[in-house]
Amino acid sequence: MNAQNTAQRRTSKTALKALNPRNHRKLLSFWRILKYGMSSFFRNAWLSLAATVIMVITLVIIAVTFVARQVMVDTVTEIKDKVDMSIYVKQDTSPKDIASIKASLLKLDSVVSVKYTTPEQFWEDIKTKYIDNADIMSAISEASEKPPIGVMNIKVKDISHIEDLTNLVNTNKLIKASMDENYPPSFSDSRRTAIDNISRTMDFVQKGGLIAGVLFIIIASLIIFNTIRMAIFNRRDEIYMMKLIGANKSFIRGPFIVEAVQYGVLAAIVTAVIITTLLVLAKSKLIEYGIAVGSTYNLLTTFWPLAVLILMFIGTTIGVVSSLLATRKYLKLN
Amino acid sequence: MILLDRVTKTYGIKSKPAINRISLHVEPKEFVILVGTSGAGKSTLLKMLTREEKPDSGKIIVGGIDYDDLKDSQVPYLRQKLGVVFQDFKLLPRRTVFENIAFALEIVGMTNREIRSTVPKVIDLVGLKGKEKNFPDQLSGGEMQRVAIARAVARQPKILMADEPTGNLDPRHSWDIVRLLEKINSYGTTVLLTTHNVDIVNKLKRRVITMEHGKITSDQAQGWYKQ
Repeated sequence: MNAQNTAQRRTSKTALKALNPRNHRKLLSFWRILKYGMSSFFRNAWLSLAATVIMVITLVIIAVTFVARQVMVDTVTEIKDKVDMSIYVKQDTSPKDIASIKASLLKLDSVVSVKYTTPEQFWEDIKTKYIDNADIMSAISEASEKPPIGVMNIKVKDISHIEDLTNLVNTNKLIKASMDENYPPSFSDSRRTAIDNISRTMDFVQKGGLIAGVLFIIIASLIIFNTIRMAIFNRRDEIYMMKLIGANKSFIRGPFIVEAVQYGVLAAIVTAVIITTLLVLAKSKLIEYGIAVGSTYNLLTTFWPLAVLILMFIGTTIGVVSSLLATRKYLKLN
Repeated sequence: MILLDRVTKTYGIKSKPAINRISLHVEPKEFVILVGTSGAGKSTLLKMLTREEKPDSGKIIVGGIDYDDLKDSQVPYLRQKLGVVFQDFKLLPRRTVFENIAFALEIVGMTNREIRSTVPKVIDLVGLKGKEKNFPDQLSGGEMQRVAIARAVARQPKILMADEPTGNLDPRHSWDIVRLLEKINSYGTTVLLTTHNVDIVNKLKRRVITMEHGKITSDQAQGWYKQ
């Protein structure tokens, strides 16, 4: 009995070894998976169209979220840059003291650069700036004398973080002595509150935009996942049949992944066309409203092949992951 | 060729066994008909042979392979060695007759040249010459079953399992299918056929195994069946 069992076991092992003699033809299998995936895409035309449309919607949401966020960041940066950060020094401050004040300011972490404008130049700058504004020009011409101050214009990294600058201005003896008491720094007292308010609002807009963007991307990914899942659910009998006649997992799953890649590539191209058209049409109007769309527009038009590739990558990744997850369920059982 | 030794399968904890300690031996080139009412355990038995189901206990050996030694990853390769035909044909709906049969050959890694030479031969064997480019929904039930049989035998399996292949067909087409199975058997393929059809069983005069409530109640060399 034992000898019979041993013989049977040996026969079984030999038979098992002989099960898959042609498994080495991986390239041929890969080619066939590609062929099946591409033919399925066209033979299931309606399903493919529906999945591609949903994928386009997904990618448009993602792209609009990205563009909107970028435009918002640029706009916020522009607004922050426009906030005047200056201290005003007396006319008679010596060049040596001005150089010393500049050096002290530049030592601060929050300060990027400092530009000093003499009282004469400051006066000329005002006149040039408001040359088209009749009311201001009339006020300037009526003024008996120009303000006796030089302007130290300070460029900071972030208007929300200027504590060290405020401290320095309040404590540094040379700065305090050089400042004209009639002209306090542009970022002090009530102006400081206004700057803080602008800063807080901009931070909120940026963070809110980021959260909304992440939410949109999650929702859009879920929509495309469900669409692909339903498309695969409709073809579960096909998967079952393939399993029963001996197709291995990669041969069954492969064509679905190829189809998902096609949805992603096609949808990326359509999305790129939609987004570019929208941006071209809306550019001038947005600029009119003071929205800084220029740099994003230039970025997208200069690097459009990269933008299309990124969209393709996002589309195919979402599609392939959805396909992998959706087919997993039907491939589980023997 | 097929050996079952005290095989038991139960679905759920409290239910009665679908297969209850069945032992069975089928020789190579035999034509065996498995009969029994619905729920007798015929389909479960075939499912265990194709490894769709695992037995709770007992031993199954098919074509020398002991299923206890079979890993899950090897199951597709086992199935590639078996021919299986179903009552509902299970054809790929968006592929032509040629492509349905070719698919079974592509998954075993046959070259395109081998496929181009094999598929017309099996199409000829099952009598579907001229229907190569038809899609399943352009065929009758009998023709679809012929495609399923062609797909099952294209890889020249040693064993062909047909689970109620005539269940959805009228008597004339049913006999066409049975004659085709006999022809395939005459080429040396072991055929395991499950059916309800009394007329077919009684006229074939082949080995008939009757199942009831998961057990084999009779095994006749040239048997007959009465419902």
